[in-house]
Parts: sequence; structure tokens; C-alpha cells
Amino acid sequence: MPIVEARALTKVFRRPDKGPGLAGSVKHLFARRFQDKVAVDHIDLSIEAGEAVAYVGPNGAGKSTTVKLLSGILVPTEGEVRIDGLHPQRDRMTVAHRIGVLFGQRTQLWWDLPVRESLAVLRDLYGVDHATYRKRLARFDEVLELGEILPVIGRKLSLGQRMRADLAAALIHGPRVVYLDEPTIGLDLAVKDRVREFFRSIRDEGTTVMLTSHDLADIEGFCRRLVIIDEGRIIFDGDLEAVKDRFARERILHVETARPVPLETLRASLPGAQVTVEESEVRYAVRFDRFIMTAGQAVTALAGLTDLVDFRVDEPSIEDVIRRVYSGELVLDETGPRR
Amino acid sequence: MRAYRALARATARSALTYRLNLLLGLGTVFVQLVALLAVWRVILAQSSVNGFTWPQMRVYLLVAFAAGTVVSAFGDFRMAFRILDGDVALDLVKPVDYQKARFAETIGGLWIEVLLIGVVVGVTLAVTGGVRTPAGPALALFVVSMLLLVPLKFLIVYGSTLLCFWTQNFIGVQWARLAVMNLLSGALIPLAYLPGWLATVAQWSPFAGLTSTPALIFLGRVDVRHGLTLVAVQLGWVLLLWFGARLMWRAGLRRLTVNGG
Ligand SMILES: Nc1ncnc2c1ncn2[C@@H]1O[C@H](COP(=O)(O)OP(=O)(O)O)[C@@H](O)[C@H]1O
Ligand SMILES: [Mg+2]
Repeated sequence: MPIVEARALTKVFRRPDKGPGLAGSVKHLFARRFQDKVAVDHIDLSIEAGEAVAYVGPNGAGKSTTVKLLSGILVPTEGEVRIDGLHPQRDRMTVAHRIGVLFGQRTQLWWDLPVRESLAVLRDLYGVDHATYRKRLARFDEVLELGEILPVIGRKLSLGQRMRADLAAALIHGPRVVYLDEPTIGLDLAVKDRVREFFRSIRDEGTTVMLTSHDLADIEGFCRRLVIIDEGRIIFDGDLEAVKDRFARERILHVETARPVPLETLRASLPGAQVTVEESEVRYAVRFDRFIMTAGQAVTALAGLTDLVDFRVDEPSIEDVIRRVYSGELVLDETGPRR
Repeated sequence: MRAYRALARATARSALTYRLNLLLGLGTVFVQLVALLAVWRVILAQSSVNGFTWPQMRVYLLVAFAAGTVVSAFGDFRMAFRILDGDVALDLVKPVDYQKARFAETIGGLWIEVLLIGVVVGVTLAVTGGVRTPAGPALALFVVSMLLLVPLKFLIVYGSTLLCFWTQNFIGVQWARLAVMNLLSGALIPLAYLPGWLATVAQWSPFAGLTSTPALIFLGRVDVRHGLTLVAVQLGWVLLLWFGARLMWRAGLRRLTVNGG
């Protein structure tokens, strides 16, 4: 049985359709008009225990709304959600023990308390025993380096510190499912790396993770499953590697040769690849489809012509692929198996 | 239980952060109290009005001050802000009952309010002379009434703060609540001074329990039997509002939208 299951999940927001200023507000009082915004549109999603899922989409696609629906914060307009077979509103208390939620732009720390005390309050809220609590804290500390921030008062934390503390807060009760909504937003690179390492560590421990981000670098190397949402609809749900295989087949081999070699000679020895000169006449870029030739074959072919000083292979990131999907340049025609 | 104790403790600790604010607040309420005392002293100098003599009014104002200070410093602003800002989303994924959790926080903030009352009442008594405490049964009834005042006031504040789900605005709600509360509780003037029909409405409203009931019992202006009725009314409202607020909360949740992340 999937641990998270959503069927035909839909959320429609009613926004008051008000004219500007006070006049608009007063008029609205008498002639109430609303504009409906379908934020999430008949989503079907099921996540198995232990799965790591990346949930991506451009801004305003409906990612956060989905997370709020899946955690029982919002009541769906249509459709339903089951967490471990439970109804998130009717069984709110039980469900709360099984899920952890992090919203990158919100904190669940107590503003006026040191982080250590905030975490202790959460420990008591969730009824975690002291030994387990200490063990978890020690484990989080290995990756998140909490030590230095435990004595700091909530409101004095820097953004990076706050996010690290909030990650610990979202996981202190050992939830079976965690939703991380934009967990790296606004962080500098060093903190991002640490936080990403933390995602991997909780995934490796078997926690089901749904990671929502518009920073696609977050998902690289994190999960096998990719779900893409756009305008409230799931437009792709399938294997991340499969997407890369299909849409990120291009490789670029950058080589530096000892002496200049005529382009025609290079092209003749590498049929099926595109060869271009780069910034100097001893540097070349070879673009090829990795299903037509391997990087090894390309290097061997070039080495037969001249001495190679240096070479490097670039693969397009999943980022490039998904960006092309967003822009409509690429259409992922079939959504993967709906598990 | 452990969860709610932890929440109460958290507020009790955070309250310390605001000791400077509270000290400033203390100054303000003290000045207010002194002003009220001075005004009534002049009004009642010659003769009693509506049955209140000056010594009685002095005690009434002190009890009213104590009753007004309890459950006043914490909670409502934070809760309203969390609803309006959407942070309430995070409260919803905690394994605690929302209403009980907020009540626990209110209890946690009580100690500093009680301390404040102790200081102000102590100083006032030292300057203007002691008071006669009522006899055993009336005193016990007074204590019960003061204890009931805590959940009663919490529920009135909590219920009105829940209105933020509908109004999307807190200041208006708060002003309206303060106005009604001040008038109908007898905090500004004893209910006996209101026009007859309004006094009757006030007496049976939940607001009387916020000031009038404990003050009248302490003063002995009602006998123990009448006092029991008033306390029973307090209790009745606590129960009614407790369950009423739950319905409101459930209705409010359906309106919750939580903008942004
Ligand atoms: N509380 C709300 N009221 C009205 N519209 C909303 C609300 N929350 C989100 N929306 C709208 O729903 C859409 C999806 O929002 P959201 O789920 O926050 O997107 P994402 O997290 O993918 O950026 C957006 O167009 C947003 O403007
Ligand atoms: Mg979002």
C-alpha cells in the first residue's frame, strides 16, 4: 500500500474580485464577485514507503498547495488524500506523528527561545523519549552541525542557520514521510550543499521524502522519481534517469590538442558528431549522442590523429532538460507508470 | 499532557523575553489605576452612588484591575498573526489539539501576569490602606470565580481571534472585543451604573464573569447564594464557549487558504 496517495486532488482558491482602493472594497461588500483559481487540478499521485520523489515545476505551478493538501493543512476542493491509509483531517493527530513538513519560507521554531529549547518543546509535543531524542540530535548534528546553533535564540538565527535548525525540527519525531517545500531557498552555496547532503542521509535511512524545489540542482543525485507539475497538472511522472536518457543524450567532449588540427580531419574521423573550435585553435568541442558513440570512442578516435593534452566530458544537467520542458521546447509525451 | 505542559513552559520562558515591555506596561496600567482611583474618590467623596461607597469602589477597582490583567498579555496577537500570515499551517501538523494548545500557552503566560498583579495591588494597598477580605465561603467563591475567569477570558479572546479566518484583519476585531468587554464586564464602571435593561443583558452575558462577578463576590454585594448563581453562569459560559469555539475552529479551517510557501 502506498504511504501517500492522492486521487483527483483539486484545490480551487476563491479570490475576491475587488476593484482598487477603498471604493473597490466597499463595492465588493455589496456585489460580491470572485475569481476562481485552480491551483491544483485533479492530481493523482502515489508514493511508496521509502521512495524519494522530486516534485518540480515553475513558480506558481501548485507545488506548495499540493504539499499543504498532502499534509492535511488545506481541505481539498475535490478528490482525496490518504496518508498511510488515514484521512489527514479526520485523523489529524495520528497523521501528525507520521509526517514532517518543512516550508522553506516559514519557521516552526519559537522566536524567543534558543534552538535547543524549541527542539525540546517539539520533543515533548511528539512524545519522543529522551534517549531517542539525543540519538537523533547527534545524528542530525553530524551533517547539519547543529552544535553551534543550539544556544542561539530563534530570531537571531541567520537564514542558513534557521534552515538547518528547521530541518532538525521537521524530523525530530522520526516521521515516516517528510515534505520539504523549497528547503534551500535563499541559502548560500555552502549551506545548500550541506542541506542537500542531509536530504540524502534521511533518504538513505528509509524515510519517504517528497522534495519540492524550483532549484533543480536540489534533485540531482537525490531521487529516482521525478514528478513535474505545471499549472496545477502533473505533466510528467516517471523515472529521472529515463528522462535523462531520453532527453539528455547529448554529451560534449572538450579537448585540447598539442597542435592545431584541421576541422575537416576531425570531422571525418568522428562521423555523427558535431565538431567546433572553441576559444583557441587547439581547443575543440565535440557534441555527440551518447547512444551513437561513447566518450571513450570519441577520445580514442581523436588520439589517433594527434596528441591530446587534456579533455573533459560535460553532460547536460537535469536542470537543462526540465527548463526545456517548462519553456515548452520539449514535450514529455507520456507520463510514466502511475504507481 | 506532556505536550501541553511543554507548550505552557515555552510561553512561560518566552515571557521573560518581554520583561522590559511588561515593565513599561506595568507603568501604564499603574497610572491608569491611580487615575481611576482618583476620579472615583472625588465622585464618591460626599455620598455613595448606586450603593457604592468610596472604600468599596477602591476594592472594586483593584479586583477589576486584577481581573483585567489576567490573560491579557499573551497569545492573541501571536495567534492572530499566525492565522493571517499562514503560519497556522505549521500548528496544524502538530499532534496537539489546537484549542487546548493555545489554552496551555495562556496558562504558561499567567505567572508573569500574576506577578504584575501582586506588585500593583501590593503597592496600592500599602499606599491607600488595607482591605477587609470576605468571610470563608465568600472568599472560596471569589477564588473559584477568579479561576473560572481564566478559561472564560481565554475563550472570549480565542473565539474572537478565530474571526480572523473571516475578517482577514485583527485590529478591528480586537477593538470591537475590547469595547464590548470593557462595557459589559463592568471593567470601566460597575454594571449597576448601566441602564437597567443593559445591566440585565450584561449580567447574563459571558462578560460579567470577567470582572463584575468576582468583584461583587469579594465586596459582599451579593450573598453567597446569589454568588453561587453568578459563578454557575460563569461555568456555563465556559462550557458553552469551549464547544462553540470548537465549531468555529472547524468552520474556520475550511476557509483557511495559507498564501505562499
Ligand atoms: N491562498 C491562496 N489564495 C489564492 N490563490 C492562491 C493561494 N495560494 C496559492 N494560490 C495560487 O495558486 C497557484 C499555485 O500556488 P503555489 O502552490 O504556491 O505554487 P508553487 O508552490 O508551485 O510556486 C498560484 O497561482 C498562486 O497564486
Ligand atoms: Mg511554493
